Amino acid sequence: MAGIKMATPAAKPEEYKNVFVFLETREDKLVRPALEMIGVGKRIADKVGEKLYCLLLGGNIKDEAKEAVSYGCDIVLGAESPDLSVYRTLPYSKIISDFVKEEKPNIFLIPATRNGRDLASRIAVSCEAGVTADCTELDIEQDTRILSANRPTYGESMLAEILCKKHRPQMATARAGIFPVPDRVKSPKGEIRINSVKVDKSLLKKEVLEFKKKNAVDLTAAKVVVSGGMGLGKADGFKLIEELASEIGGVVGSTRPAADMGWISRDHQVGQTGQTVRPRLYVAAGISGKIQHIMGMKNSETIIAINTDPNAEIIKYSDYVINADLYEAIPALVNSIREEKKKLAPAAGK
Amino acid sequence: MVLEIIVMVKQVPDSQEVVIDPVTMNLNRSLTRNVTNSADENALEAALRIKDKVGANVTVISMGPPQAETTMIECLARGADRAILASDRFFGGADTYPTGLTIAATISKIGKFDIIFAGEESSDSSTGHVGPGVAEFLNIDQITYASSVDYEDGYVTADRELEGGTETVRVPTPVLVTVLLNSNSPRMQTLRRKIDAVKKGMEVWDHDKIGLQPEWVGVRGSPTIVRKMRPIKERERAAKKIDVAGLGDLARELYEKKILKLEEE
Ligand SMILES: Cc1cc2nc3c(=O)[nH]c(=O)nc-3n(C[C@H](O)[C@H](O)[C@H](O)COP(=O)(O)OP(=O)(O)OC[C@H]3O[C@@H](n4cnc5c(N)ncnc54)[C@H](O)[C@@H]3O)c2cc1C
Ligand SMILES: Nc1ncnc2c1ncn2[C@@H]1O[C@H](COP(=O)(O)O)[C@@H](O)[C@H]1O
Repeated sequence: MAGIKMATPAAKPEEYKNVFVFLETREDKLVRPALEMIGVGKRIADKVGEKLYCLLLGGNIKDEAKEAVSYGCDIVLGAESPDLSVYRTLPYSKIISDFVKEEKPNIFLIPATRNGRDLASRIAVSCEAGVTADCTELDIEQDTRILSANRPTYGESMLAEILCKKHRPQMATARAGIFPVPDRVKSPKGEIRINSVKVDKSLLKKEVLEFKKKNAVDLTAAKVVVSGGMGLGKADGFKLIEELASEIGGVVGSTRPAADMGWISRDHQVGQTGQTVRPRLYVAAGISGKIQHIMGMKNSETIIAINTDPNAEIIKYSDYVINADLYEAIPALVNSIREEKKKLAPAAGK
Repeated sequence: MVLEIIVMVKQVPDSQEVVIDPVTMNLNRSLTRNVTNSADENALEAALRIKDKVGANVTVISMGPPQAETTMIECLARGADRAILASDRFFGGADTYPTGLTIAATISKIGKFDIIFAGEESSDSSTGHVGPGVAEFLNIDQITYASSVDYEDGYVTADRELEGGTETVRVPTPVLVTVLLNSNSPRMQTLRRKIDAVKKGMEVWDHDKIGLQPEWVGVRGSPTIVRKMRPIKERERAAKKIDVAGLGDLARELYEKKILKLEEE
């Protein structure tokens, strides 16, 4: 077995410069967390006067490279091959590790998505780097160029600040939905370096047989989210959730066990292992407020809880609490909202 | 030749009753009960189903303090054949790098393996990094976030749940698979097996037995350090009580305060 050895500290940490970010794609299109990485990477690079490098791999990535530049990327390092059109662990980690060993970045950020985490740890081991997972705050100390990587811990009750002083690069994965998508820059002038690469056959043994797309609901961009939990009691309960959501222009969310039950598809799940949302209004119906759910919605501007339990944990995170059976409260709320709409826009009402 | 399956399991503090010491800001371990990381129970179940189907030797391994014995015995009682605990005072305080290193070295020491299972993440560290790290150390392919796993004739086929959909992949062994929490229902321990498990017991391997230098592992072998911990302060919310009769007022307030708008953009 090759390579089971300790992580050797960087001999000359001062030689490591610039910020790398990995741009995740799906069907050769940048996903939203990739844009979030450009934003946070740019802020960190600017603070120490260094450059932001964006790593882009895929089958046909020229347009997306221009996209990355338009968001403020200084240099796009690209690798293009039909063999890279879907993410696979081995070719991606090999090519990216080679980029890292060649360019010696000080910092490397990867979105903490599923494929991002699949990748990050392999690169950290291969490059003998330190990596902090799932950060919600990232900053750099100007004089030392040390990354301050902050991640929630102990059930989100504490924030741990984690440093990597001697190993390079300093790697972190960043939780999706936390860092804002940056504005486009006015006169973008990044450089694009894309190489056509030939991928070693030994790295391509994994076959991707199928990808079943979910009619992906992007909860992260929603202004209003109405979520249901186990308190619904049955799959049918989500009809009620949908009714309220459509009445107030919202999208439907869920807790993990509700998705585990098959009451609704997994892409509606909010929380630690689902999506992180911060809408203007979040309605939590039949949701107890366990920390893994809370962490996905606690930054919503206004939160309404509907729960029969007057002591449910969700209450302390809520602006409004409707202590009632949701099967009674939601239809009544829908009615009240209809009435209110009629008053506000009588012409639009029937 | 019989299939060799390894399952990585971790003992974690019960997340329902985590107690933080207000002075040190660390976990108060004496007040917290320890349990087997839930996703690792799903990983073991995935392994045992392959054992049921084609026959296999299932070895559970863990790195942790001696009290992880309860977890190891529990895994034997569910149907694992062998349990190895990598335990040594030098292993303490490890971040994901030396954790992966210690587990990978333990697996190499065991010898042959076809499939390695791990959980999607541990409830206390929740990095999901240890599994892929082990795969990199061992230079093998991996399938992460699997919701279903099947083995046939030297290939593992699995569904991976990703943000945008479900990906089906097929990989020749050896391969490491990380299994989603709740992706199956772990079987119960039987009484007979429990008695056998206690009789059989676990093996404990230290750094010397595994062939690791003390400075490679634990806190000394960790590239990252925790500089400080601070409590996360949540915004105070009013938790204003509304009864069903008051929903009309609530609807008015939501529009007045522009929490709801007539036209959502
Ligand atoms: C590693 C890990 C990751 C996890 N990730 C996530 C995640 O991403 N997202 C997530 O949501 N969970 C996650 N969980 C699960 C989490 O711990 C909780 O189990 C889950 O959030 C609880 O879901 P719930 O509120 O729907 O169900 P329950 O906790 O069962 O709560 C149901 C609530 O409904 C109320 N209720 C019952 N009947 C009614 C009624 N008729 N009207 C009104 N209220 C009613 C009850 O009072 C109760 O408060 C994770 C757990 C682990 C271990
Ligand atoms: N100390 C450990 N001993 C054995 N397995 C571990 C250990 N730490 C992590 N794992 C495995 O790696 C998975 C991911 O853990 P983590 O990277 O800590 O989120 C867990 O579900 C376990 O299967």
